[in-house]
Amino acid sequence: MALKLETINIPHLPASLPVHVALYRNVQNSAFLRQQLLAGNSEFEYALIDASMVLSRAHALAAVFRAVNDYMNNRLKSRNVHSEIVFSFNPTNNIAESFRKFGIADSTKDLLVVKVSVTPEITHDSVAAHLESSIEGTSVPFDDLTLSEISDITKIKKLYKLGALPSPAAKADPSQPNGTHTDDAQRQLELSMLGAIALRGS
Amino acid sequence: MIAIGMEGSANKLGVGIMLHPKDGSPPQVLANIRHTYVSPPGEGFLPKDTARHHRAWVVKLVKKALKEAQVSVDDVSCICFTKGPGMGAPLQSVVVAARMLSLLWDKPLVGVNHCVGHIEMGRLITGATNPVVLYVSGGNTQVIAYSSQRYRIFGETLDIAVGNCLDRFARTLHISNDPAPGYNIEQLAKQGNQLVDLPYVVKGMDCSFSGILAAIDALAAQLGLGGEEREKEDAEKRASSAGEAQIIPETNDKPTRADLCFSLQETIFSMLVEITERAMAHVGSKQVLIVGGVGSNLRLQEMMGIMARDRGGSVYATDERFCIDNGIMIAQAGMLAYQTGFQTPLKESTCTQRFRTDEVFVKWRED
Amino acid sequence: MAPEYKPPALPSPFTNTTPAPTLLAQGAEAHVYKTVSLDPSIPAALKIRPSKPYRHPILDRRLTRQRIIQEARCLVKLVREGVSVPAVLALDWEGQGGEESGWGGAWLLMEWIEGPLVRVVLEKWEAWMKKNAATLDPSQLQTEEDRVRSLMKRIGHTIGGLHKAGVVHGDLTTSNLMLRSPVQNATDSPTGISMDGDVVLIDFGLASQSAQDEDRAVDLYVLERAIGSTHPRSEPFFEEMLHGYRESYKGATATLKRLEDVRMRGRKRSMLG
Repeated sequence: MALKLETINIPHLPASLPVHVALYRNVQNSAFLRQQLLAGNSEFEYALIDASMVLSRAHALAAVFRAVNDYMNNRLKSRNVHSEIVFSFNPTNNIAESFRKFGIADSTKDLLVVKVSVTPEITHDSVAAHLESSIEGTSVPFDDLTLSEISDITKIKKLYKLGALPSPAAKADPSQPNGTHTDDAQRQLELSMLGAIALRGS
Repeated sequence: MIAIGMEGSANKLGVGIMLHPKDGSPPQVLANIRHTYVSPPGEGFLPKDTARHHRAWVVKLVKKALKEAQVSVDDVSCICFTKGPGMGAPLQSVVVAARMLSLLWDKPLVGVNHCVGHIEMGRLITGATNPVVLYVSGGNTQVIAYSSQRYRIFGETLDIAVGNCLDRFARTLHISNDPAPGYNIEQLAKQGNQLVDLPYVVKGMDCSFSGILAAIDALAAQLGLGGEEREKEDAEKRASSAGEAQIIPETNDKPTRADLCFSLQETIFSMLVEITERAMAHVGSKQVLIVGGVGSNLRLQEMMGIMARDRGGSVYATDERFCIDNGIMIAQAGMLAYQTGFQTPLKESTCTQRFRTDEVFVKWRED
Repeated sequence: MAPEYKPPALPSPFTNTTPAPTLLAQGAEAHVYKTVSLDPSIPAALKIRPSKPYRHPILDRRLTRQRIIQEARCLVKLVREGVSVPAVLALDWEGQGGEESGWGGAWLLMEWIEGPLVRVVLEKWEAWMKKNAATLDPSQLQTEEDRVRSLMKRIGHTIGGLHKAGVVHGDLTTSNLMLRSPVQNATDSPTGISMDGDVVLIDFGLASQSAQDEDRAVDLYVLERAIGSTHPRSEPFFEEMLHGYRESYKGATATLKRLEDVRMRGRKRSMLG
């Protein structure tokens, strides 16, 4: 199946810093990928995120934006902008914890991959070529519908300490006749998470 | 028309003579005489001592003012006096003198609100037409704007006045009260550069200074910077380095007396500029006028100027002759009221410690 | 004459934003712009607290940082509690250039609320009523007044929710209340002025976390005064706002009791006597 690598110019960030995002399911070589990260293999410098911890596109982009903004202002708390993206998902200041909770694990099946064009050599094509040769998994669209099938709402709510919020029902759930309530709950959860990401470290 | 103004609401006794020419040309200051009661370092001025000072000097000052202005008693139209607000005993000494002159010369009395006196004098001297007014002195801290014939208070201190905060800290440091404690703090602050962390208390357009004073007093005590001894040391240093402009800063990073004065000024003036800016945004005004004794502080004027510039406006301030309590401001505000037919009958020629700026009906301004 | 006013330069990263954010309002503390969120198809409000060159740089950073964080914390808390306020999308309390280089000010990117200010709704309604009230029959008049009562009641509910969540606004006026436009916005009223939609609280620049009756009562008092001075025709319905408030949470009764004290005292101490 063809790689669905999306290149995004996030509003407010300079056009010279596009962000390349790919979402995978059924990834087979997570242990290998994680090993490359641990070894500091610069070819594998990506933000590799456990996609079950990602609620929505807006959630992921908020974390990416925070990390890139901190990168532009020379305020990274971790090694590089890609590790910072993983850290930015975390609502608290604990970097090691953020990797445990949001980063790729050996058993990760659903994976969100993010790469920022921090040098001109990093382009859509260069990222696409490298991902095709390195990630063994099914490329799926990076959108809310796909993410809704992947995200583990209970775990996400627990991590963001938002357990008291109403739970958005799974999209496919036919027992939820009133769609608007589901949307409201999803939206409140998402906005609460964006707030937590923005406030981290304040 | 000529008005005599008599002011003595605090430790300054002022007598001023103001001419409002009949042809409508701008009013002129004919005399502006002042004598200040200065208390020893480490002490404030007490009401009874201040009142005694005013009683002892008031006749001399009136005579001197008449002589300087080259007017005779016959030329005088009215006698204006400070009705309040201020300290009771000093106010009383001056109102008694004003009453006596009124009876002696058979001239009408005009009771004036001290704050309105500051505002009208500031408007006259600077030409600011409709400014937001910051009135800052030892007894008052108010942000005022004019609206339908009142000077309305938009913000004010919730406890002590800003000048009182400065004066009391000067006492803590045993800084001289001559010519004014605030002036000496300002001079010392010029040698400071290290900002110490102090409380910053602004609530909407109101502010509070008592917590700051407590904090900086405690800091001075903790650093051993208060009291007579340290002032003597500083004075010796000043004398020995007479040629050089500055006291050589201490080598360690501990804040100095100068640093404390610097920090106090930076903090409380920032609060004042902030509430003034909020009032300007609220009423949509681009002019700001600073009046009152603290208004003669050049650092405050500078900060206010930067704020006003950034809003596309400008700041109006006066020097110590008009900023600090004086007689002509009472003559000026009194004359404006007198020209609208206002007089204070002898029976009602009392004074009051509390007299809010917005109680005065400003008949002499349009709409 | 004074030169024409120019707002300060936008802080990073909004110098990159295309199209450039448009300035909506300049207060004493902050500038509010309309721009887009992190999704270019969704609008957002950008609040900038520019640096204040008049004050000492250390003090300036301390205050600006404290205040933007306080504002954001209140908003995030309220979103979590389900109170209608604009959500925080992104925040930067450090200002451009990081620790060492230039300090341009802090910023807060917020959810865009589409809809009119309650101030504008009431002003329009009062203007219409002033002109046309005489032409209405009693039942129409009743209907119109009931619409304002209902709006007041909803405002009361929203403020009750705010206080219940442990936040006081600090500057409640009808300019800081909005109506989030519902999808279908037609109204049957002869005035043509819709009063439908969720009441949304905005501008938390002076807000703080507090559960004290005094702070809550002052919030209500400030709103009461603001309605009295800007919307004289709507003032009689303020009581309905208090009804809505009373229903909205358990502590409301104590706050309303305190409101009576606050009213007696006035915001300003009288210096008389």
